[in-house]
Amino acid sequence: MGFKIAVVGDQDTVTGFALAGATYTHIYTTKEEALAKLGEFLASDEIGLVLITHRIVEELGYEFRRMMRAKRLLPLVLRISDKTGYVSKVDELREIIKRTVGAEIMVKREGS
Amino acid sequence: MAALAVSPTRMELLKLRQRVGLAQRGHDLLKEKMDALVIEFFEVLRRIQEARMKALEQLSVAHRALSMCFAIVGTLETKQASKETRRELQVEISTRHIMGIAVPAVEVREVERNALVRGYGLHMTSSVLDEASREFERALKLLIELAELEGSAFALARELEKTKRRVNALEYILIPRLKEALKFIMMRLDEMERENFSRLKRIKAMLEERG
Repeated sequence: MGFKIAVVGDQDTVTGFALAGATYTHIYTTKEEALAKLGEFLASDEIGLVLITHRIVEELGYEFRRMMRAKRLLPLVLRISDKTGYVSKVDELREIIKRTVGAEIMVKREGS
Repeated sequence: MAALAVSPTRMELLKLRQRVGLAQRGHDLLKEKMDALVIEFFEVLRRIQEARMKALEQLSVAHRALSMCFAIVGTLETKQASKETRRELQVEISTRHIMGIAVPAVEVREVERNALVRGYGLHMTSSVLDEASREFERALKLLIELAELEGSAFALARELEKTKRRVNALEYILIPRLKEALKFIMMRLDEMERENFSRLKRIKAMLEERG
């Protein structure tokens, strides 16, 4: 089954992905609006992938995490960096590893 | 201390032994499952790291191309073009099962398009715009792959958490409690044995006195 792609981000990110063919876009203005739109995207059966910039994820904060926990397997939500290459310091996956594997913090080397 | 209310009978003892055996077996199985999950999880993590690096690199390349486009073609024109673009990219997403856990499986078809297919007017735009679009299409392709991996990682992590909780519940709560109860019954039965023994002795002595 084919799914469409949605993007939530700043003007530049949205423009870029629109050029690449993302179907739904939302340009971040206010938190409330973004949350509403994100909820709409998550509830949609058409959308398979939602891209959202790290900066906005941080703006949304707790509400976003709550939505992530409540969502189904699809759509997938992927955090991306914006044009400044901004990536949030808290790595979601690393957090999960800490919680599941215990207090273990991984140090991985490249090319092993 | 005995958290489980049991009556100290032989029947109960047998039943308890069975339960301990069952709990132990369940615990071992779950532990094995957890180990397998961890191996799977780390494999996915390794791949994520590679994919993420590639995707982020490509994304910054794309952003640079887009800035270039903003500068040369103009912000307004670029935005206009982005609105004219045909925006119906589709990805195939199905679910795959790793040890009974549904993880997303994404199939990426060719994302890169020919400038003619994109849908913006060619006479008003320059090749810089094509460049930016192409870079973004490439980035999108890598991001889609990354999304699949991250989706799997999250699904696995959630399952891992659940399994771990179960293993711990068995290991630290249920099995100790059952063992506690088992010990209690055994002590109790031994005590009764001793009581009975001394009682018999006493009766025997009484009978001998009389007879």
